[in-house]
Amino acid sequence: MEMNFNAPQRQSAVGIVVMFFDTLRQYIKAFFPLLIIWIVNFNKVNKWYLILGALAVVLVVALIAFLKYKNFTFYIDDENEEFIINEGVFNKTITTIQLDKIQQVNINQSLLQRIIGVYELEVDTAGGSNKEGKIKAVSHPLALSLKSRLLENEKKTKTVIASEASQETEQIITDKPFISIGFLTLLKVGITSNYVKSFSLLLIFFFTASDYINKITGHDVLNDGDFDNYVTKGAVLSTLLLFVLFLFGVVLVINLFRIVVRYFDYKITKQKGSLLLSFGLINTKSTILKPEKVQITTVSRNYFQKKMNILEMKIKQATSGEKTKHNAAIDIPGCNTLEKDEILKLLFQQVPQKGYMMKPNFRKLVFSIFLTIVLPLLGFFIVANNVDELNEFAYITPYYVVFVGLILYFGYRNYRLFISDDFIIKQSGAWDISDEIIRKEKIQAITTSQLFWHKGADIGYLTLHTAGGNIGFQLGNYTKIKQYVNLWLYEIETSDSNWM
Amino acid sequence: MPFWKKENPILGRINGCLRLVISVQLLVFSLHQTQKINMENFTNETIDTTNLPKYEEVAFTSLHPNYKKVVLLNVSVFSVIAIIGFSALVFFNKGEFTQTNILTLGSALLVVIALVFFFSLLSFRKKGFAFRNHDVLYRSGIIATSTMVIPYNRIQHVALHEGLVSRYFGLAKIEIFTAGGHSSDIEIPGIAKAQAEDIKQLLMGKIQKQL
Repeated sequence: MEMNFNAPQRQSAVGIVVMFFDTLRQYIKAFFPLLIIWIVNFNKVNKWYLILGALAVVLVVALIAFLKYKNFTFYIDDENEEFIINEGVFNKTITTIQLDKIQQVNINQSLLQRIIGVYELEVDTAGGSNKEGKIKAVSHPLALSLKSRLLENEKKTKTVIASEASQETEQIITDKPFISIGFLTLLKVGITSNYVKSFSLLLIFFFTASDYINKITGHDVLNDGDFDNYVTKGAVLSTLLLFVLFLFGVVLVINLFRIVVRYFDYKITKQKGSLLLSFGLINTKSTILKPEKVQITTVSRNYFQKKMNILEMKIKQATSGEKTKHNAAIDIPGCNTLEKDEILKLLFQQVPQKGYMMKPNFRKLVFSIFLTIVLPLLGFFIVANNVDELNEFAYITPYYVVFVGLILYFGYRNYRLFISDDFIIKQSGAWDISDEIIRKEKIQAITTSQLFWHKGADIGYLTLHTAGGNIGFQLGNYTKIKQYVNLWLYEIETSDSNWM
Repeated sequence: MPFWKKENPILGRINGCLRLVISVQLLVFSLHQTQKINMENFTNETIDTTNLPKYEEVAFTSLHPNYKKVVLLNVSVFSVIAIIGFSALVFFNKGEFTQTNILTLGSALLVVIALVFFFSLLSFRKKGFAFRNHDVLYRSGIIATSTMVIPYNRIQHVALHEGLVSRYFGLAKIEIFTAGGHSSDIEIPGIAKAQAEDIKQLLMGKIQKQL
């Protein structure tokens, strides 16, 4: 559908509702403490004043929302090839985005937007994080049309480059998703991944909650004196075990829930040589992934996932703003080996080979053992010598040593750098084994460094900087590293390869 | 149209003066610029990886001797502040400290200051830079010596920075930015102002050539 975007236009009229709730949310956030006071003193204040006040607030917010809607216009300036957004009630802002700087156009939908039936359009640019455009409420056809118009311009400039010619031939849009991640796969992913992340989230929640209860009731939940009374010391271990098991169960359920909500109905569609991803149960997100902008591709899986033949992928695109760095990663939560190869082929035109394998020196293992086992234990025993109560926990130390030792050993065993003609792959991780894949030409800068006492052992550090983050390898054979750095520099400097 | 392709009057002028201002040493560099692969005499021989130019054997240029003064001045200011702070602390809490306490703490402070001086000088000596035909190298670090290499065709932009103290000594800092974020930028301090200008123009020329 072709639409004309040359004249300034407003969002969908129903967008006022979105603006309204947005503004309301902002105000509630800002006046949260005041609200609390109101609620606490609910009975003391004259109720009529309260109701009138609330009404007034709603009216003001509605007025602001209306003005926001009224003053928000957007259009494309064909002459200067710019996309322009005007906004603001009291402070007017004009955002100008040069069309060929647009990296990505995302169409998202939050729950509210879904109820009303509008979409949000988000324009990502290559320059800085503050220069991003966001249109809160447009209809679906308009969003699609505007998106294609915004991206089409980029195509126009790109076609000049010969390498892009191959993409032109496959311009047929295939609307049928070539990978869709089913509910079952999401369940599998949910029970096998992100233990650490969920666990830390849970811990944070637990502590903030106990802190909260603390403040309200004046009781310290964690260190309550009663605790000792009804838990005999012999039972501490079994209680602890039960507690851990319980936590583990909670983590599993939360994880499952999180992943299903976040990635529900995950579809990947091929579109003009790029990938179109869409997912989400409550908030639907859709993103375009352009192979040439991909910097680091991470493929990871753990033992369970290997048995179930699923793996996770994370794709980092080029970003410039530090702030958006972690948002720029695109997750593909679950796909099988075949699908992974398909995606990799689309991104790299081939499945990356591993090639030469570089192992870390054994000192890496020794040093990490020293840092995470020897030092903490030493500290513990020194303190425990003086504080008698701590001695009771000494029986935990062997478990700690075995547990951490195993993690370190497997982490060391999996720590590898693979170098082939086109790719550099860093493998790491103890439980979740991940491969970070970069193409050689994506390297922006290289740092090599060596501690002076490692000169004799001929080992050192290598860091490859890309526009999507760094890849580092510790304590590899320094002669080999230097040799490869020279080769990479030679290859980067003699070719005009496009890194973005 | 991307920003770097836009007509920039300042850049244009800088390019204009480029040939005039550039020092002989830098002229040699610019003459050796990237040769575009010519389709007619295109060859594709196996690269002898052992005979590639070795970045680790490059002779590094050390920073300007004046920069040592800048470093010393900075460290001195720091030391003076630390000593004043310490004295004030002792002076206002006379009762809290015994004679031996003051002596041990004072000597500890002096040792720390001496160490800072020592390491600053050492780190000055360790810093060095080199401009090759196709990339820029910067070496730094006392305990771990690290070398960073940025190929010219990955440079996004170049900036010249003059600190207050550095300006007094006629020095400037060159900042070289890539798309790889903060960790992959090179900052070379302690270069004579005129030379820094030359280097900046050389790099600008290289970037323009790429595009």
